[in-house]
Amino acid sequence: MTGFEAISAHNGWAIAAIGISIVFTGLTLLSIIISQLHKVLEYIEARGKSHGGRASKDDSEIIIVIPKEVRQAARQYRMIVDRIGEPFALPRLLELASRHGLEKPHSTINSLIKKQVILPDGEGYFTWNEKAS
Amino acid sequence: MPTDIGTLRSLDLFSEFTEEELKALSPLIHRVRVTEGEILTQRGEPATNFYIVLSGNFMIAFNNERAFTLHRRGDIIGWSTIVTPFRYTGNAVALTQGDALVLRGDEFLRLIQADSVIGDKIMNKINPIIAERVPYFSRDKAPARSSSGR
Repeated sequence: MTGFEAISAHNGWAIAAIGISIVFTGLTLLSIIISQLHKVLEYIEARGKSHGGRASKDDSEIIIVIPKEVRQAARQYRMIVDRIGEPFALPRLLELASRHGLEKPHSTINSLIKKQVILPDGEGYFTWNEKAS
Repeated sequence: MPTDIGTLRSLDLFSEFTEEELKALSPLIHRVRVTEGEILTQRGEPATNFYIVLSGNFMIAFNNERAFTLHRRGDIIGWSTIVTPFRYTGNAVALTQGDALVLRGDEFLRLIQADSVIGDKIMNKINPIIAERVPYFSRDKAPARSSSGR
C-alpha cells in the first residue's frame, strides 16, 4: 500500500493537520510575544532604576549630563570648588583656575554655567550642581 | 561707524524710541568686538562707557566677591555712567568673545539731560535693572563657607 491510500490508512491527513496547527499556533504565539517584548523590557528597565543608582532617589529628578567637551574641565573645577567650599565666589574660582594654569578659564566657566553644572544661588554666589554627572 | 537703526530698534532698551529718537541716538553708539577675558569696567574707576550686549557672555563682580553673569542680548553694563557718583560699581569681564554696543558716558548723560522724553524712556528701562543689581554690591561678604570635604 502506497501513496494517498497509505496516508489515509495511517491517519496521515490528521497528523498533517495537527502539525500545521502546531506550527501556526507556535508562530502566532511567538509573534505575540515579540510584539509585547518592549513592554517587558520597559518594566525591567524601570525596576532596575528603582533599585539602585543616582536616578533612583527621585524619578522626577533631573540629571544634568556634563557634555564630553567640558567633562575633563568640570573635574578640575570641581576640585577647586571642593577646596574653596560652597557657595563660592565666581571671581575666586576664576582667579584660582587662572593661577592653576587651566586653559581658557573664562569660557570654561561660562560653559559650566550654561550647562547648569555651576548654578547661581541668587545671592551673588554659586554652587556646584550635585545633579551634574 | 554709527549703529544701524534696525539694531537699536531690536533692543528692549530702545523699544519705545521713535524713529526720530533712534536717528538721534544712532551716531552716538558704536559696535565693538570683545575678546575672552577682556575687562570692560573696573570698580571705582570713572564710568566712561555704557555697554549693551549684542552677543557673548559676561560676568560682573563686586567688592564683596558677589557676582552675576549676563548671557542675553540687550543686557546692559555700566549704568553708573548716568548715576552719581559716575563710577563703576563692579568689574565687568567678558567670559567669551562677543559683540556689544558702546555709548560714551558723557554723551549718554548729555542725551538724557537734554531730552526729558528720551531721558524718561531710558530711565524707565534702566531703573528696574539698577534695583535688581544694587543688592549684589550693597551687601557684605557672605559668611564663612562650608567646604564639601570631597
